[in-house]
Amino acid sequence: MSSFLFWVFALMTLIFGAAVVINRNPVASALSLVVSFLGLAALFMSLNAYFVGIIQVLVYAGAVMVLFLFIIMLLNLQAEERRRINWLAAAGGIAVAVILLIEIFLTIGRFEAARQTFPSLSESTTDDVRSIGAALFRNYNLPFQIVGVLVLVATIGVVLLSKREPR
Amino acid sequence: MMRITAPELEIAVLVLGMVILLVETFATKIDKRILAFAAIAGLAIVLLASFFVAPSPSPDQATGFWSFYTADRLSIFFKQFALVTTIFVLIMMADYAPVVRRSFPGAAPQSGLGEFLTLPIFTCLGLMYLVSAIDFVFIFVSLELVTISFYVLVSFTRRNPITLEAGTKYLVLSALSTAFLVYGIAWIFGVTGQTNLYRLTEALANPAINHNAALLGMGFVLVALGFKIAAVPFQIWVPDVYQGAPTPVTAYLSVGSKAAGFVVLLRVLQPFLVLPETQRLVVLIALLTLIYGNLAALPQANLKRLLAYSSIAHAGYLLIGVVCFDVRAVSFYLVAYLLMTLLSFAVLIIVAQQTGEEISDFDGLARRSPFLAFAMLIGMVSLAGVPFTAGFLGKFYIFYAAVLQRQVALVVVGVLTVGCGFYYYLKVVRAMYWQSTTNIAKIPVNGLSRLAISALILCTIWFGIYPQPILDALKR
Repeated sequence: MSSFLFWVFALMTLIFGAAVVINRNPVASALSLVVSFLGLAALFMSLNAYFVGIIQVLVYAGAVMVLFLFIIMLLNLQAEERRRINWLAAAGGIAVAVILLIEIFLTIGRFEAARQTFPSLSESTTDDVRSIGAALFRNYNLPFQIVGVLVLVATIGVVLLSKREPR
Repeated sequence: MMRITAPELEIAVLVLGMVILLVETFATKIDKRILAFAAIAGLAIVLLASFFVAPSPSPDQATGFWSFYTADRLSIFFKQFALVTTIFVLIMMADYAPVVRRSFPGAAPQSGLGEFLTLPIFTCLGLMYLVSAIDFVFIFVSLELVTISFYVLVSFTRRNPITLEAGTKYLVLSALSTAFLVYGIAWIFGVTGQTNLYRLTEALANPAINHNAALLGMGFVLVALGFKIAAVPFQIWVPDVYQGAPTPVTAYLSVGSKAAGFVVLLRVLQPFLVLPETQRLVVLIALLTLIYGNLAALPQANLKRLLAYSSIAHAGYLLIGVVCFDVRAVSFYLVAYLLMTLLSFAVLIIVAQQTGEEISDFDGLARRSPFLAFAMLIGMVSLAGVPFTAGFLGKFYIFYAAVLQRQVALVVVGVLTVGCGFYYYLKVVRAMYWQSTTNIAKIPVNGLSRLAISALILCTIWFGIYPQPILDALKR
């Protein structure tokens, strides 16, 4: 993919990412997040990581965002629109972002490994679905199975804590 | 004879948890407290089986199962530790059932109780995996299993606003600490290209590795583990969460979560010991934790809060052991800590249901229930570190290790703060034996709790006089 498309999608991700924070209307924020996620998915695909890109769309832009919108509509967050910007929190957030940016530049500047380009996935012999599957089911099989127990416990917890008792 | 291997213990606990969950779902008519007794019996069988497991450090650390999981002596010892803790917590939970029932008003009489008794089994599973984990990926996953089941347990009686506050605080701050853990792991992986702790040791010995960047990652991991073991300055959540959570969960949090945190800390710090900065960092955290925990405990009037600050203070003593890297001293201290903390909480649960959680509610307990007052006395003097209790020997081994390594600052601050501890622990003893009260109603104790408390008293004194069994368990 040409670098022109990279800039389009990268800018799309960043601008709508900023819009999530700047927008006062929660629904507008959530929809900006969807667009930001779509830009990110396009970037993944441009790196030939089709599986990750599609999962990004299905899970984040699809399932997670629907959940967000549901919660926003259920909670009726009118007060959020009237809230003033907390400048102290904004300054803190910007400071963290600047520190992370400096860190990225330092890492690229100092480390030999950070400057190396990884071999393109399209040139390798296996596709990305196969590599992810092999990693999960062969190399990281034990942690993967424990995640199953973890999800079971999380499900029990969600049902318990959100259950409404009859009055 | 059939050989039992270490991974089978966890599988047994997992199956036990599933079976009890299914029984809870389909057998709606039974008294839910039967589930607690079934769980206790099941865990006791696993505990018994664990003594027949021969320790075997992972033979092949290249790939697959054994690159994540080790069955060395330390891990088997702490698997037993997790099982014992869970058994005692379940006994306390059976005692606590009326409080859980009251917090679900209007619902079916036993609503929610079954899950309350099932979740600790999964927490126990997480703790057992955690003490065996030798790979950052596996450490992360099992730590999350423990943490997520604690999220649910802490906010279980959520009708109570204090509990809800505790649950929210624990959720938010714990999630933040997890973020630090993942970020730290990412840095370490980025610098060395390894997540396995043994291969990390080899990688860090290579001078071509950028040590400052590895230390940065180590620092982030230390933040996350400091949160789990309640070390200053990551302790802000402790008093509120300990006070608000259901009392058996508080006991579980302060013993199980902390012990597993220390085992992980010992394993994770090992590769980084080649870097001198690591030790200096831990010394600093230990000093802060000792001073803060003991001083902040002084003015407390609520016993649960007092035990929260005492838990911070004990993390400080344990960190002295971590600085000296004396695994046996740390393990013995954790065993002593288990005995005396569970003892205090067991008495607290019974007394709090009759009167309350304030220290003044313990006034004249010696006349209302000599047995409970004696149990609390043993718990408190052991926490303070009076000779002939397990708590004294625990502190003795820790300070001995520190003296051998010439950590003067740690020994001086440690001994001074022990004196501080005497004041606030004996405040409880004074209330029980020297304060008078108008309420002289007897406090009933059921058979199982009486048995559990008696066992804890006996072990506290027994290991205070004859600590050899614990030391032997880790030596060979």
